[in-house]
Amino acid sequence: MITIDRVSRRKGRAQILHDVTFEARPGRVTGFLGQNGAGKTSTLRVMLGLDRPQQGTALICGRPYRDLRRPLTTVGALLDGSGAHRARTAGAHLRWVAASNGLPGSRVREVLDVVGLAGDARKRAGRYSLGMSRRLGLAAALLGDPSVLVLDEPVNGLDPAGIRWMREFLRDQAARGRTVLLSSHLMGELASIADDVVVIHQGRILVQGTLAEVTGGHATLEDAFFALTGSSW
Amino acid sequence: MVSAELRKLLGLPTAWIGIVLGTLLAPVIVLLNAPYVRDLIAAGTDTSDLGLQDLGIGLIGPMVLGVVVISSEYTSTGPDAPRARQLTTTLAAMPDRLRLLTAKSVALVVVAAAQAAVTAAATLTLTHVLHPHVPVPAPARIAAAVLYWTLIALLSFAITLITRNGIVPLTFLIINSTVVSVSYLLTKVTDLAAYLPDIVGPQMFLTTADFPVRIAPLTAGLVMTAWIAALLTIGAILFHRRDP
Repeated sequence: MITIDRVSRRKGRAQILHDVTFEARPGRVTGFLGQNGAGKTSTLRVMLGLDRPQQGTALICGRPYRDLRRPLTTVGALLDGSGAHRARTAGAHLRWVAASNGLPGSRVREVLDVVGLAGDARKRAGRYSLGMSRRLGLAAALLGDPSVLVLDEPVNGLDPAGIRWMREFLRDQAARGRTVLLSSHLMGELASIADDVVVIHQGRILVQGTLAEVTGGHATLEDAFFALTGSSW
Repeated sequence: MVSAELRKLLGLPTAWIGIVLGTLLAPVIVLLNAPYVRDLIAAGTDTSDLGLQDLGIGLIGPMVLGVVVISSEYTSTGPDAPRARQLTTTLAAMPDRLRLLTAKSVALVVVAAAQAAVTAAATLTLTHVLHPHVPVPAPARIAAAVLYWTLIALLSFAITLITRNGIVPLTFLIINSTVVSVSYLLTKVTDLAAYLPDIVGPQMFLTTADFPVRIAPLTAGLVMTAWIAALLTIGAILFHRRDP
């Protein structure tokens, strides 16, 4: 369960988040939809304790991220890139991440198998393709077998097979009762995976609800989005 | 968490450059300088710092280690995501900033102290083999040299924590310790420069070098420790306040 309550954040003079409030519930895939620069990543960074808001709270399973002692056993996060130092092999990267949260080394092999990188564990992260980097990032997110997954643009850089795999993987995670929150600016992709949708525009939440509620009387989620934001290309 | 930080440090190729260079340089210099040192001994030069003085060149090791332990967190993970850095993964895994910095410091101290002990043992043994009539320095002085080595690692760590970039501090530290010592030049301008960390620190264990102001070993150690405590505190406050 993720609860974001009236989060506001300024960066320099720019107000990048205004009273952002929404929930992501267990057993559902929640799509966080917005154009580039709308405030998706900023919200996720506040949620993960990376950036501090001037106001408001972001709770994961009822607690602020920074208060979690072994956070990876509660939340798995995938942000920009692989998250690994270029000179490190994928296996070495995952081993230190596992050690930091007291997770057994055997988990490394397991998550590499899940994301299909077992054969490339000895390759340096800097030599990975964009798609492989995303998979490595996801592997790190899965190490602690968390009940909450937070993913920023997870399908960016994946090939069609990878996108399909990610969609099925995240649906399966939700079916197991996990909370899945993913941000995207790809509306068709989001419509094909999300149960619930939260729309952010210029740092404000415009609407949230089930996919059907947010789509409303429009033919597609994309039509609904442009009607809501009043923006066009 | 310390074991995670040890794995991180020892998994970096640049850290190994520091470990190998730092460990080998001093004994190699002792070997190369042997004929010249024999002449000095024959000429009756004071040899009480012999061996310990040669450790200086190896300080590149703890400097590299102290810098990369932080700078590696800020290196871009690749051209696909230029703003992505390992630091995001680190903070997601260990969100308590103070605990994280403590774990990093402990890991660094363990590696730097081990390197110092090995290098000091190798350098002094080699010195004894090459110049058997020169007395071996007292254990307290050897321990002080190992301490200085470790404190240099922490000094580099603290400076990099403030700059968030490894190239500038590493370049400065290495040039200052090898090519032109800015700190030493400053001692020609003011006696206060005698209290700069890299000038005061060696007084913990060296006795014959040309120091502008004589400072007792214990005082020297305390001054150096105070420098590091101050810089680490500034670094930790900045690390806590700044968004990564």
